[in-house]
Amino acid sequence: MSKIQMFEKPLGMRDSFPEVNEQKEYIRSTARDFIRRKGYDFIKTPSVEYFETIGKASAIDESSLFKLVDNQGEMLVLRPDMTTPIARIAASKLLKEKNPLRLAYYADVFRAQQREGGRPAEFEQLGLELIGDFSPYADSEIIYTSIELLKDLGVESFRITIGHAEILTAFLTNNTENKEQVETLRQLLVEKNLVGFSQKLESMNLLKEKKERLNKIIDYTIDSNVFSDFRQFLNDDQQYLIDQIVELQELLEFQLNDISIVSFDFSLASHMSYYTGMLFEIHAAGSGFSIGNGGRYDELFKQFDEKVGATGFGIRVDRLLEVLPKVAVEEKHTLLLFDKGSFSKANVLAEARRNVSEYVTLQYAESVNDIEAFKQIFDEVIIVSEGGSVRD
Amino acid sequence: MIELTIAMPKGRIFEEAYKLFVEAGFNLPKEISDSRKLIVEAPGERIQFILAKPMDVPVYVEHGVADIGIAGKDVLLEQHRDVHELLDLHISNCYIATAGLPNTTMNDIAPRVATKYPRIATNFYKEKGEQVEIIELNGSIELAPMIGLADRIVDIVSTGQTLKENGLVEYEKIVPISSRLIVNPVSYRVKSERINAFIAQLKNELNKR
Repeated sequence: MSKIQMFEKPLGMRDSFPEVNEQKEYIRSTARDFIRRKGYDFIKTPSVEYFETIGKASAIDESSLFKLVDNQGEMLVLRPDMTTPIARIAASKLLKEKNPLRLAYYADVFRAQQREGGRPAEFEQLGLELIGDFSPYADSEIIYTSIELLKDLGVESFRITIGHAEILTAFLTNNTENKEQVETLRQLLVEKNLVGFSQKLESMNLLKEKKERLNKIIDYTIDSNVFSDFRQFLNDDQQYLIDQIVELQELLEFQLNDISIVSFDFSLASHMSYYTGMLFEIHAAGSGFSIGNGGRYDELFKQFDEKVGATGFGIRVDRLLEVLPKVAVEEKHTLLLFDKGSFSKANVLAEARRNVSEYVTLQYAESVNDIEAFKQIFDEVIIVSEGGSVRD
Repeated sequence: MIELTIAMPKGRIFEEAYKLFVEAGFNLPKEISDSRKLIVEAPGERIQFILAKPMDVPVYVEHGVADIGIAGKDVLLEQHRDVHELLDLHISNCYIATAGLPNTTMNDIAPRVATKYPRIATNFYKEKGEQVEIIELNGSIELAPMIGLADRIVDIVSTGQTLKENGLVEYEKIVPISSRLIVNPVSYRVKSERINAFIAQLKNELNKR
């Protein structure tokens, strides 16, 4: 570790300058209006939680957690995601008051970065959680709302890819011998390392037909959107999973004008290990990284001793900023410069202009070092003096 | 309109990969003569090639400025970039191995290993439970044992000729290496039809071999 420089910030921490901050504010307020009209209530949770509870329940890898110790010696974490704290509140209190429960958040989350100092370790996330509903209607509501929200915000070109955690697990379990093999293969699919997948499969001690079937499944998921093709790979007890995904597709077809932005890929696997049912990822042209993801996570509630269905999604606001067309803010900023004698007059003038929604900066002229440079920043400059106001 | 951007490593892998593309039936310019050009277009396929340092290819693909890239498995193992690894092109086959002067063992007090691949080397010795000091070099790794900088090197071996010429012998094979087709996760979804068609055409040629 080299010496910390004067203006250096901790790894992955960023300042939001006024312009970017305004863009974020635009996203926040637009999204907030939209989401509240869908019947979701916004919620805030603490930035700091116990490692023992939220830290361990969270799907974020432990190596990415910011850990600190409180004055009692307890291990704390900066919240790495919002889904886990919301599950805690829902299980402990809110579900007893309203069930099913619709909650939304716009909050900073913290994930320590290992590589390349520029990558954000603190970023805003925007998301929804629908808790207390096992039905496909809840899943389609979440996917549909994420699509509508992105459109409302002005994202032009994006795609949703839907997978199903249980179907993938069934494919893998049916064609392997033990849990360890399932996990190894699943991990390779999370990275979408198809070369590694077939190499690993080759090296495993498995029947030839099982290997061939697994390779076939992977090829199928990429080529085919016909769900009935997949029934042959599932046994009788597992057929209901295909019914689930068929139902979800029908609901989405009903809700969406353009179904082509949605595609299905059963090899889709997430690093978020708590997903149990459908899961999806959002990719938008303009950013090299996925801008959001979501899915069904009934399993998470078991950690809080509840048996409820839950589904939701989260969008990264920093990635959203990358793909959104820049919104030119039409605002007129006025500078009122006053001297000793004209203070009260300048005050009256400023208030009058602010009352008609103008943006007015009131500044004592003598205090400004470089008056010409300062004036350049504003759309209009008025010099207020005892004699009268002059437009500059 | 350019539909796909492909990052290619300059040098030997480029030649082999380009030949593979031509044999797979892609309509590409016969010769890419002007070797100083960094961007080459293939209007017949609406593809453009970015010519990059092999180590940089996964960076371009991860950030999405290239949709597709050709990268050696050695580079992928060393960098752990967030890219999809979809095809083994079976070209530029070689492997990573440890090597050193004949009939030598590791120094007991200060075992040192020189390499261009610090991450691969670190993981290899970690798995073996051996504590070694990794010395990162950028080239001519074979020098290190000869001049007493390190007891072992971890490097790419294709024919073993370079080792031989420098009086070194191979000790352990670490991992086989070949060139892979990598794809940016967003491009893979947003341009899925185009990319899947591209991969299918390549696969078709690879299956013939």
